Amino acid sequence: MEQLLYVAVFVTLGYFFGKRAESKHFKSLIEREQHLNALPAMASRMPPQDGQYDQVLVSGSVVIANDYFKTFVAGLRNLFGGKITTYESLLDRARREALLRMKEQAQQMNADLVFNVKYETANISGQTSKKPPIIEAHAYGTALRKL
Amino acid sequence: MEYKNPKLPENNVSKEHPLKEFSTLLIGTLVLVVVVSITLSLAGSTLAGYIPYSAEKKVASLYDVSTHSDNERFPEIAAYLQDLADKISKAQNLPEDMKITVHYMDSPTMNAFATLGGNVFMFKGLLERLPNENTLVTLLGHEIAHVKYRHPIRSFGGGIAVAIAMTAIGSSADSTVLGDAGLLSTLQFSRKMETQSDLEAMHNLNSLYGHINGGAELFKIFREARGGDGGSEPSEFFSTHPQDEKRINSFTENANKYNWSETGELTPLPDFFKF
Repeated sequence: MEQLLYVAVFVTLGYFFGKRAESKHFKSLIEREQHLNALPAMASRMPPQDGQYDQVLVSGSVVIANDYFKTFVAGLRNLFGGKITTYESLLDRARREALLRMKEQAQQMNADLVFNVKYETANISGQTSKKPPIIEAHAYGTALRKL
Repeated sequence: MEYKNPKLPENNVSKEHPLKEFSTLLIGTLVLVVVVSITLSLAGSTLAGYIPYSAEKKVASLYDVSTHSDNERFPEIAAYLQDLADKISKAQNLPEDMKITVHYMDSPTMNAFATLGGNVFMFKGLLERLPNENTLVTLLGHEIAHVKYRHPIRSFGGGIAVAIAMTAIGSSADSTVLGDAGLLSTLQFSRKMETQSDLEAMHNLNSLYGHINGGAELFKIFREARGGDGGSEPSEFFSTHPQDEKRINSFTENANKYNWSETGELTPLPDFFKF
């Protein structure tokens, strides 16, 4: 019974702290995305054909830790199958943050455009399923600055 | 060419409230676990009942239980208990190969139990409270009836089936939650076994002494040890054994049903059995 209590405490703490961190992060994401909107990032592999450019590899990566609440819900969801909605927001945040960091790097070198953008995600919590997942999202692309 | 990143709508994450999903899943899981563990423990214990006694004995003999008993230090008590057990085995019509071995434990623990391979353990802490031989025979008869009805192996079978299933899904869900729910559902089965053993003990008490006087004393001792009139007694669901009061009453109920006498001469315990 004591163990049940520990689980309940962790899940409750995870829910409130995780929710607070998430809403703060989303607010910051929306704000910074608006700010960096002038610098487009494209998935296209074909560079613009109008003139000469400097080409630099830019990348941004972020590591996001999970909270106990999300892990618990995901664990239960594994029994029945279906969307793991608690992880959807986690991965959405990770990808957007990585892309923003990449764009910030490109902005520092006064780039006009980032093209051929790609994402990678990696689970870095190890092989044991007991530990809550920790996710790394990595965005990279080629930044172009008009000569 | 013009390149643009328009502002995307915020709809890449499901809008469902996480607490709603949490409660739905939690309730679903608990219902699933209870249903599965009841089914598995019933199936496991039923199947384990078909394991031949000789196989059970072989497995039990891999572990030498006699190293734990104090039979050698108290040969008189051990011989007396064994002699009673043999009489009771005869009265209960135990099969030829089902040999009961009584182990006396010189320990203050107030307990007695039967386990695999016909091994019955009697603790000094309980024996010293018994007022007469009739009560002792009720206790021994109860434990021997467990062996007769193959309760130890059936309870192991049910428990193992549930444990395997819990380990299998335990890796994907939280095993502590599942484990506790699983335990509650296996306990309920054992209570039926206790009632069955009580009845068998009454039968052999009557056939050995011609009356069942002294039998209910056993459960009065348990009730007293638990502190009087059941104020602190755990609720029935959490207890392996049926409530003391119910068991004491069942002696009178069965006496009426089977026409047993509830009065009769009590046989005293031998002198060396006084602690």
